[in-house]
Amino acid sequence: MSKDNSQDEKGMDQYTEDVLERGISRRSFLSRTALGAAGVGLLGLGSVTAKNAEAADSSKEFAKSSDGGATLNFMPKPKPIAAKDIKTTLTFDVIVVGAGASGVPAALSAAENGAKVAVIQKHPMPVSQGNTGSGIVLATSDKAGIEALVAKLMNDNNHRCNPALLRQWAYNSGEAVSWVIDRAKKGGSPVVDQGSAPQRGIRTVNGYTVNYVTSFFGPKPYTTGDGMRALAKTAEKAGVQFFFNMPAQQLVHGKAGEVIGVIAKGRDGKYTKFLARKGVILATGDYQNNEAMCNYFIPDLKHFGRKQMDRTGDGFALAYWAGGVIEPIGHTKMLHDFDAGPASMCDMPFLSVNRKGKRFVNETVDMSLYNNYLRDAENAGHYSQVFDSNYMTQAATWPGKLVPPEGLKNYMPDDPAPKHGVFDSLVNTHVADTLEELARKLECDPATFVASVKRYNELCASRKDDDFGKPADRLIPVEKAPFYGIHRRMRISTLCSGMLVNENHQALNADGKPIKGLFVIGNLGGGFYGGVDYPLTVFGLSLGRCYTFGYMAGRHVAKL
Amino acid sequence: MKNRPIKKFIFALSLVAFLSGIFAAGVSASSSKKGKDGELGTLHASMGITCAQCHENVKKPAAVPMLKCVGCHGPTEKLAAKTAHVKPRNPHENRHYGTEADCNLCHHQHKKSVNFCLPCHQRFDFVVP
Repeated sequence: MSKDNSQDEKGMDQYTEDVLERGISRRSFLSRTALGAAGVGLLGLGSVTAKNAEAADSSKEFAKSSDGGATLNFMPKPKPIAAKDIKTTLTFDVIVVGAGASGVPAALSAAENGAKVAVIQKHPMPVSQGNTGSGIVLATSDKAGIEALVAKLMNDNNHRCNPALLRQWAYNSGEAVSWVIDRAKKGGSPVVDQGSAPQRGIRTVNGYTVNYVTSFFGPKPYTTGDGMRALAKTAEKAGVQFFFNMPAQQLVHGKAGEVIGVIAKGRDGKYTKFLARKGVILATGDYQNNEAMCNYFIPDLKHFGRKQMDRTGDGFALAYWAGGVIEPIGHTKMLHDFDAGPASMCDMPFLSVNRKGKRFVNETVDMSLYNNYLRDAENAGHYSQVFDSNYMTQAATWPGKLVPPEGLKNYMPDDPAPKHGVFDSLVNTHVADTLEELARKLECDPATFVASVKRYNELCASRKDDDFGKPADRLIPVEKAPFYGIHRRMRISTLCSGMLVNENHQALNADGKPIKGLFVIGNLGGGFYGGVDYPLTVFGLSLGRCYTFGYMAGRHVAKL
Repeated sequence: MKNRPIKKFIFALSLVAFLSGIFAAGVSASSSKKGKDGELGTLHASMGITCAQCHENVKKPAAVPMLKCVGCHGPTEKLAAKTAHVKPRNPHENRHYGTEADCNLCHHQHKKSVNFCLPCHQRFDFVVP
């Protein structure tokens, strides 16, 4: 982090103070229930049976909400594992839990800094998603530009993040992303640096220059998952040992409560104890497949499809029971669809209709925020972008990049030609000679759809959007056949709020003190976002942050 | 993308052939839980597989780890090779788990099997035995 930063925090920053006050931890629950004990009598505890009283006293078994009012049964307290059930004990310097876009870089970084490293992974292989990860090139960027970008991201995060962590990404990501590119190439990945090219809107921020290193693991179906598998090969050559199909069960604590290892379960049902001389780094990702946890932290997610599997929030329970603090309710979510049609057209403000075929939004809203209009069970994240055969000329000046009709065929499931650079099971773009036929292909109600288009064309003709107030230069009618539609499904890519950490990515306890031996990175780490949705300002911020914090945390723990 | 009934039929047939090959050795049934027709558990039982061969504790049967499946059926890499021709793609080798997806994600014993891919990949119209 830059030393001449004018906003150095003295003592505890506002973000950390807030999470300590309102976040969820064992300590905060215990102290708050003590204060609220007088209220228990009012609830009629005296009349409940002994059995119910025992159930009510579930604080020993399950986590509690920050006010002590709700039992968080999605985070059961780990049951003790007897020494006789432990088949093997292995000792390393650093244990990384989770082999994804932060775990694999952390393991390699620790190994390159001299540590003996093990990675334990629930899946049979390293797993990650997406293609793009970004960093800032310090040498060719204005410092004012970097600070302007940080300020822009704070705004995107609704000012609910830890600025120190954003700056840590900003000032270290160039080095870290370049390192990931180099090491992944050594593992056989065709990864490329796209530089500043994909970052169209932020090459200058407030008039200042910012340049980027943009790692691209692609095109699809090649993704960062393949990229992390290549990086893992480099890590293995550097001495990192991977243990697959071994979900972590619980942390091992020393006498003073410090974290000294992890117990993991093999496919044979036997346990292995991994001891860590220097530290345990949790990189287990989000909790989108843990329904109860989603309902608690982000009830908005109820009807959306999930893009990932097995993201059950294991690391949250591990860190919570070690004394860690979970960011309070109001976690940040990420919902996208870059697969149904061209990614470069996702934010272009064509007519959008919901699943039934009705216009529902001022289309200048970013795709990353559309999910907020489509949360109900019927829409469940579905909508369609609709345009006619004049789109190449009429939308030519819009931000984004138009794909010509020939190129759109690559996204059409009904077009028989082989697909390139896409997931052919997820493309969902359609063309039709009539609006009714297009409605059927988009799975809309034809009558509703046709009425919506008719109304929209009237608004376009009047040059005034009386229904949603969209600017006149974004109103182009849908009147000349053939007609096009992109049926997008907003599903959960990831959730990106997590455990309270300091700038060493060390978990903090309810007193704001670092928990010895416990580090948290990737989407399990808190403090980096905070808005309702993940911002698409920096294309590849999520993976860029994962790489950067993995790179830095691995090095930090190795040097302890 | 339309269904491909003939290929699906061949896939189903090859799978049945594969399963029968394994069960041909035959173990006589000492007890069998009554299952519904079409459930894999019923098929297993009709082949003479006992409850205890899958469940360690028959009185309190718990979820069966995948190791039990591959103990009889063999390594998943070989299964993936057998289904390499299945369209639109090989269900036993995928981007999420390689060849090591847990059998139980799709193939259930005591309830109807499911096509685990389908909720996301709506054109992966596999018939799951």
